[in-house]
Amino acid sequence: MEWRLLPLRVDDAFMSMAIDEVLLKLNAEGKSPNTVRFWRWLPSTVSIGCFQSVEREVDLGAAKKYGVDVVRRITGGGAVFHDHEGELTYSVVCGQEYVPDDIIESYKLICGGLVCGFERLGLRAEFKPVNDVQVDGKKISGSAQTRRWGSVLQHGTVLIDPDVRRMFELLKVSPEKISDKFISSVYERVTMVMRELGRKPGFDEVRVAMSEGFADALGVELVDADLTCEELELAAQLKPKYASEEWLKKR
Amino acid sequence: MGYAEFKAPKGVIKVELELKDGVISHISLSGDFFMYPEDALEELERALIGVRGDRKNLLVVVKRFYGSTGARTPMVEPEHWVEAIMRAAGG
Repeated sequence: MEWRLLPLRVDDAFMSMAIDEVLLKLNAEGKSPNTVRFWRWLPSTVSIGCFQSVEREVDLGAAKKYGVDVVRRITGGGAVFHDHEGELTYSVVCGQEYVPDDIIESYKLICGGLVCGFERLGLRAEFKPVNDVQVDGKKISGSAQTRRWGSVLQHGTVLIDPDVRRMFELLKVSPEKISDKFISSVYERVTMVMRELGRKPGFDEVRVAMSEGFADALGVELVDADLTCEELELAAQLKPKYASEEWLKKR
Repeated sequence: MGYAEFKAPKGVIKVELELKDGVISHISLSGDFFMYPEDALEELERALIGVRGDRKNLLVVVKRFYGSTGARTPMVEPEHWVEAIMRAAGG
């Protein structure tokens, strides 16, 4: 079975969110193939889960100060700081029939691609329910999934070398908590590829490892192809929704 | 206006609510949980309006919500919503 593998894209948050939604919608309509893609955020962005209150979770003043965008996802879960220089992000879109109906089992299947990918990089990783991948008991990847119109979108992070201190300046953690002691306690729960490998791999190296991992775990052949004109056009049309105050402040 | 948070096994439920004569007149749910389908959260909020803020009543309404919508919330149970709501109600 052949799935499409898109080239690495670097977009702003609003375009990336729009592309993911368009892929999900067109896949459900039978107009887009099952797809795996990898991408980066420019500028760095805080994304919040679709049920979160932006005022409660994000320090909007700090985001403005650092030139960081803020966007609401269509997927649930928590707030994430996506560092342009430190994270590779993936999305998988497929028909619901390609994943188990059980939510946790479906995360396990797709996160299995990441587990294989980390192994290709030389790291022993494991799935941690509901939606994380761990190395040595520490989170190295988090994912979020939605199911709409008969198709599944799962997107998530591969932490390569994110700026953890910046992350906590942007998320609403009480400032007194952002002490050296707090930061070191975070490093006991969260890790990153650079720390585990002792070197910072290139984005392309990680992308190749992860795409081979997805092919293995999903039992599919990934075929290189680009977004279609229709997909790009629809994404450009949808982008203003994600950039709007109304969508950002929905909760 | 009452506000409270409750940490369920997967996700923190944040509740903002207003009671009038012991009955919920406004409620807003947020947090980092997962719910499928996502639109169901608004139905849960609607279902809670006009409900008396006691544990037994709330549990009936939340369970009925799950039954009628088929909503799924991995590692978040009806009891967790009720606990969060009761805390926001100051109970």
